[in-house]
Amino acid sequence: MQPEAINPFDSLKAGSQAIQEKWITEPGKICVLTFDKPNSSANTLDRATLEELARRLDQIEASPDIHGVVFISAKESIFIAGADFELLTKGPEHRELLAEYLELGQRVFNRIAALKVPTVAAIHGACLGGGYELALACDYRIATPDKRTKIGLPETKLGIIPAWGGSTRLPRLVGIPRALDLILGGKTPNAERALRLGMIDKVVPREWLLRAALQVIGRKTKAHLPFWRGWGNRIMATTIGGKARAEALRRTRGNYPATIAALDVIIAGAGEGFGDPAPSLARERKAVSDLAANPECRNLFRVFMLQEHARKVAKEAARDVPPVRRVAVIGAGVMGAAIAQWLSAKGIEVLLRDVDASRVGAGMGRITKLYADAVNHRSITPREARDGMDRISPVAYEAPLKRAEWVIEAAVEKLAIKEQLFHGLDAQTLPATLLATNTSALPVARIAASTGRPGRVLGLHFFNPVHRMPLVEVVIPEGGDPDVKRRALALVQQIGKTPVVVRDTPGFLVNRVLLPYLMQAAAAFDGGASVEAVDTVMLDFGMPMGPLRLADEVGLDVALEVAQTLAAAYPDRMSVPPFLAKMVEAGLLGRKSGRGFYDYPGAKGEPRTNWNALNFRTGGTAPDSVSLRDRMVYRMLDEAARCQDEKVVATAEDVDLGMVLGAGFPPFRGGPLRYADSLGAESIVAGMKALLMEPCARLQTMAAQNQKFYEDAAD
Amino acid sequence: MTSLQNGEAVVIVDGVRTPFCKAGTSLASLAADELGRQAVNALLAKTALDPGLIDEVIFGCVSQPAESTNIARVIALRAGVPERVPALTVSRNCASGFEAITEAYTRIRAGRGSVFLVGGTESMSQVPFYFRRDAAAKFNALARSKSLVQRLSALEAFRPSDFKPTPGLKLGLTDPVSGLNMGATAEILAREFDITREAQDAFALRSHQRALAGRERLAAEICPVFVPTPGGSKTIVEDNGPRENQTTTALAGLKPVFDRSGFGTVTAGNSSQISDGAVALLVMTQQRADELGLTPLGRLVDFAYAGCDPKRMGLGPVPAIRALETRGFSLADTDLVEINEAFAAQVLAVLEQLREVDEGRLNVNGGAIALGHPVGATGARLVLTVLLELRRRGGRQALAALCVGGGQGGALRLERI
Repeated sequence: MQPEAINPFDSLKAGSQAIQEKWITEPGKICVLTFDKPNSSANTLDRATLEELARRLDQIEASPDIHGVVFISAKESIFIAGADFELLTKGPEHRELLAEYLELGQRVFNRIAALKVPTVAAIHGACLGGGYELALACDYRIATPDKRTKIGLPETKLGIIPAWGGSTRLPRLVGIPRALDLILGGKTPNAERALRLGMIDKVVPREWLLRAALQVIGRKTKAHLPFWRGWGNRIMATTIGGKARAEALRRTRGNYPATIAALDVIIAGAGEGFGDPAPSLARERKAVSDLAANPECRNLFRVFMLQEHARKVAKEAARDVPPVRRVAVIGAGVMGAAIAQWLSAKGIEVLLRDVDASRVGAGMGRITKLYADAVNHRSITPREARDGMDRISPVAYEAPLKRAEWVIEAAVEKLAIKEQLFHGLDAQTLPATLLATNTSALPVARIAASTGRPGRVLGLHFFNPVHRMPLVEVVIPEGGDPDVKRRALALVQQIGKTPVVVRDTPGFLVNRVLLPYLMQAAAAFDGGASVEAVDTVMLDFGMPMGPLRLADEVGLDVALEVAQTLAAAYPDRMSVPPFLAKMVEAGLLGRKSGRGFYDYPGAKGEPRTNWNALNFRTGGTAPDSVSLRDRMVYRMLDEAARCQDEKVVATAEDVDLGMVLGAGFPPFRGGPLRYADSLGAESIVAGMKALLMEPCARLQTMAAQNQKFYEDAAD
Repeated sequence: MTSLQNGEAVVIVDGVRTPFCKAGTSLASLAADELGRQAVNALLAKTALDPGLIDEVIFGCVSQPAESTNIARVIALRAGVPERVPALTVSRNCASGFEAITEAYTRIRAGRGSVFLVGGTESMSQVPFYFRRDAAAKFNALARSKSLVQRLSALEAFRPSDFKPTPGLKLGLTDPVSGLNMGATAEILAREFDITREAQDAFALRSHQRALAGRERLAAEICPVFVPTPGGSKTIVEDNGPRENQTTTALAGLKPVFDRSGFGTVTAGNSSQISDGAVALLVMTQQRADELGLTPLGRLVDFAYAGCDPKRMGLGPVPAIRALETRGFSLADTDLVEINEAFAAQVLAVLEQLREVDEGRLNVNGGAIALGHPVGATGARLVLTVLLELRRRGGRQALAALCVGGGQGGALRLERI
């Protein structure tokens, strides 16, 4: 069967268009709408495209002898990436435009859903947000098993909810529990997983995608949802709705209104069973209009855009840079092993080197466990895990590094040791090999100077845990080779991380801003605040983890060492509470030793406050929770302002992105500088002074002159 | 000399092996391909050789895992050897490790490639159990039956004895032609050469003592193996065969396994150990090694395989060595001799026939009685061990030989450059 094209609507072909139309006569008269936005690698459902789609639907509806419609994309890696979110970034004056846009989308998708003939979404590549909502409006969804095919509704990650019918139609298709999991988690599974979840109907290789879609239409039946699903959803909406809401509120601490809004719309819609979807669709629109008015939504969207921008810059840098195939990682400790694991998972062959078999063995143990965990979480298959393990060659002696294109050093944080190591690397590697250190605080220039190729030495600062932290600080010492920077950005981009270029100054960006905050937390604890009080105020603020818990996770010894380095570099404002050293001396190292600020009862149990730690503190009166939070937050904002002032990174955006990705600064607050703008410099300066803290000159000037970090800061 | 000296010199550049561990112990959870992969990974890391330069990968393995047929290819791909490099698996029973090396030699001398990654691997822990043929037929019938009635009648055909599997290891260690177990062939030699139980036990004890004394020297050829565990990974760094507290009394207390007439002499103590392990070696032309700036361990000058009576397979090394002698080889000029210790009785019988090998140069770091005998890997280990020892001693000529189940012997003449 060779599909034959006829062209009854030539008039529509004129002008620039995002959708190609093709009519096929076998196995019946079928309209194939191919999304192919001109001069773009992506398809989006912007206003013009929706209007064009509406015009095509006019023709389809008017065609009396049509048998079906297929939606497909001509792009290599994208079906339809989603809506055009530009309106979300605009201020409240665009509210009406947004409402119109939402309605337009819903209207068009409703028309697709109402077609009398079978409709098929033939999905290859990213099918996200509006793209999947279009697919949900179709009768059938067929997808390719390609790596690039990802299917889901990630809107809540941007602070909104699926509002083109996604929050209404997905629960009807897959049931409430799965819909909640997918929409609230913003999950985007691959085709196989989506098939298992019932999100799609079939998986076929890309070469057969269109043929499979036509075959489905040839059956001449509209899809029918199982009748019991409507009743099931009604029952579940009343039984689990309340519990799910309470759980979501507890988990988000009220910081993510979109999650709650999505849940409310889903539950309310499901409560109506298979009734008229119109009320639910109206709730979708209202939820997005309301959410879009919040700064949280704009901030989340902004962070998303910053990340996309950083990726684009890195991708640009990576052009013409051949992919890295072999990297040597020196040091099989926590960081070295985690970096080796991540590189190997990304297809790079890794030589993992340490000084003796027991250290290498411990590193291989960590790597084995990381892979086992990834398999347990279903983020990779057992075969992928084995392939990753196979790419690692562990060596317990000074094996030659002549084949390595990069060396990443993750040895002990002692300058003398690193200098000696890098001196040795000079002879062990080819002259072209790039040498990177994963130091978190030591001067990269000093390390570089110990080699005969200082221009090819740089810092690549990964964050712990490597597999979850998306940021890598790229440290190029003064006078570094621009080609080296390009290749560093390319490597970071190759392994799926986001790079931020930072200057070679103590603590770079993230640790420099984070450490004063951690030390404030430690000081508050020292002064009498409880572990819970300190951690809870920051969890409420939106940090993913309380500061004392974070210190435990990092390791108190590591935190102490970094803190001491920074205290030496910035003695005017950073100091280390002495009790911390005593805790470390007593072997309370945090999670790795089983005890720190918290007690860690093995792999399963929840950590509890370690009452023993109280013995180390000076004591006093606990500050109230507001001033407790302000102290910690102000210190972060102040240090972030200094970093911006000293050009530790190129732009304010870099500060914000770095802190969100590297330190977990609440993304809905937009990053420390964005958040500072929303508070206003004046209020921060006044607040700091009231707490007897000295704001930096930059903040004081800004307060005096009523300035902001961002000119467009509307809220 | 002979024409042997004329063609391209074939050198063994370097090699590593995993620890050899008794079956069912530290390495039992690793399949043969995983053992081989770890050895190859370690060798490639050690030599920094670009695997793209390899012309072919050749591995010896006697009991290839059912899930890794042509195990050499599996090892090569998993170790990162480029897809375009072919691989083959060879088997000559206990000489499979030899065969991988000599196959590379033959190909090089025939002008078919200049760089070969070779070795041997065996997981005797994971040799499968088999169902009898008639039981297998019943399983097949069950799988093919469609209706419930058919299925029930297929099930009815089973008898309890059908579920008793035969250990593949036992089948593998029995010569199908003579029907004799390998140990039984050793008993024949003990009887015919009048080798006493005491002589065999003394030889076994010496093997353990030498292996223990040579522990540090052997460490130079061993790469650590990382065995995944539920919590992470366990690191295995040394052979676990050599027994610290081995005594004549303890050996004397063991019961003969193969001849239970009361006069048997071959025991578990004076036989080789059943083990898991893998060896990887890099074989190339001298010229290629020079170009790549590699200093070889030594040169494979000549080799020979020869057949003998399967019932007396332990004597195999004798005709193989005699064959080498016809081409200019002289035992008297040989600094070191490795004869695989399949059985003490068998080695002692070979020595009796050869007459010129004194103990000072035989198996100086112990042998398979102490170190273990992962059949597919052993040949490659003998070559690696003897070449490293030759370098340590500053010697020049070495011989590695072994007996082969089924009635063969293999002998490799090696030389330091």
